[in-house]
Amino acid sequence: MQHCDPDELALAALGEQPPPECAAHLDDCAECEREVASLRRSVDVLAVPALATPRQAVAPPPQVWAAIAAATGVAVSPRPAEIEAGLSRGIPMPRPAQAETATAETVDPEPAGSTVLPFRSRSARGPAARWLPLAAAVLVGGLIGAGAVAATQDGAGGAVVAQAGLDPLPEQIASGTAEVRERSGVRELQVDLDVPALDGAYYEVWLLQADAQRMVPVGIVQQGATVLRLPDGIDLSAYPLVDVSVEPLDGDPTHSGVSVVRGALST
Amino acid sequence: MSLLAVRRPPLGTVADVPTTQGSVHQGAEPDDIEVARRFVDGDEQALAWAYERWAAQVHGMAVRAFGPGPDAEDVTQQTFISAWTGRSRYRPDQGALPAWLVGVCRHKIADTWAKRERQRRSTEAATSEARSAPTAGPGSELAAEVADRVLLLGELNRIGQPQRSIIELAFFEDLTHAQIAARTGIPLGTVKSHIRRTLERLRDRLEVDGAALRS
Repeated sequence: MQHCDPDELALAALGEQPPPECAAHLDDCAECEREVASLRRSVDVLAVPALATPRQAVAPPPQVWAAIAAATGVAVSPRPAEIEAGLSRGIPMPRPAQAETATAETVDPEPAGSTVLPFRSRSARGPAARWLPLAAAVLVGGLIGAGAVAATQDGAGGAVVAQAGLDPLPEQIASGTAEVRERSGVRELQVDLDVPALDGAYYEVWLLQADAQRMVPVGIVQQGATVLRLPDGIDLSAYPLVDVSVEPLDGDPTHSGVSVVRGALST
Repeated sequence: MSLLAVRRPPLGTVADVPTTQGSVHQGAEPDDIEVARRFVDGDEQALAWAYERWAAQVHGMAVRAFGPGPDAEDVTQQTFISAWTGRSRYRPDQGALPAWLVGVCRHKIADTWAKRERQRRSTEAATSEARSAPTAGPGSELAAEVADRVLLLGELNRIGQPQRSIIELAFFEDLTHAQIAARTGIPLGTVKSHIRRTLERLRDRLEVDGAALRS
């Protein structure tokens, strides 16, 4: 009887599906099965969610730095605004080869971008790309139900051509609605928000493509209602998501990667 | 109409504007590689920069493990204190500084679990002093796992590149061997055999020093 390729057994220990012959063989070979089980122990011990690469950044409270400064005796201090900005930074993946593969669809943070752009490491695709796809997946389930509302009454601000319920992203406490109205060929986006007050940061609304990789900034929004004119010619079916982000006052014009609410426009 | 203009990512037009952040302060902010270099050199400012850039990620990891509060804060501060005092162990050629900080944080999380487990057992021992059979209680499996985690994280640190990054992508990014090959540009067959040898090495370590097999 031909045993499985040892490499395949190792992959099976990681939870990958072995090729058919090996899978069939594994069903009745106690020896190969034992090999997988023995290799799996380290997988069980280490491949746990709590040790996975961080996905959700949380700014540490000030006493954390105070304790570090006390223990190390360093006299300098980090700037609080920059720690907040750090919320949208990614952790680079382990990168064994210098070969940068063009995996545009994968969530791939930093260092490549940081060397290309003159800005400090927040690349056009870096942190936003890291956060947004996850969030986009979340909303597919939640927001379609916001209701199909067709263009209806021609109120004071024009006919409503699309609208969206804005739901909070994970761990955000915020909500809102968005509405696109059209009058004489000009479209406006009204955003009604219920959001916490910010210090040293502001809210910005974006229209995102469905993959949340490309986006157009529409403008600054506040608690309550804000009406903004949409760029002429923007195809809302190509940019169906309304996204509101927290943007630190750091001079960086890209999406911070920290969204508070989001919703899909229904027309 | 102007689809092109619409499709351009927002940064596209602005990337060349010279007057954004950094330059207004005293000189431009150093890039991550420069921060790492100064960090290893013991430049205190580099510790502050590293904290600005990566404390939120490290703390996010600690909060995920322990929830917000003193344990998570302790893990985050211990991560930076250890990284600073042990900075001579950081090897730039083995990976970026933030990835190293995450690795240090993993150790601190595992250490905290182990500490909690020891505390739990000592209170348990104190409360059930009268009873016999102290060994194979329901907690001993957990205790073994907690101890093995500390052991294996230590062993991971001793694995060279590219083997270590390959196994970390499998363990901590949950990537398949095909995804790892695509991500790293390392041939599929090489990725597979590195994974096998690393898992064998970790198994050997467990068999020699592990706690789980003794119960």
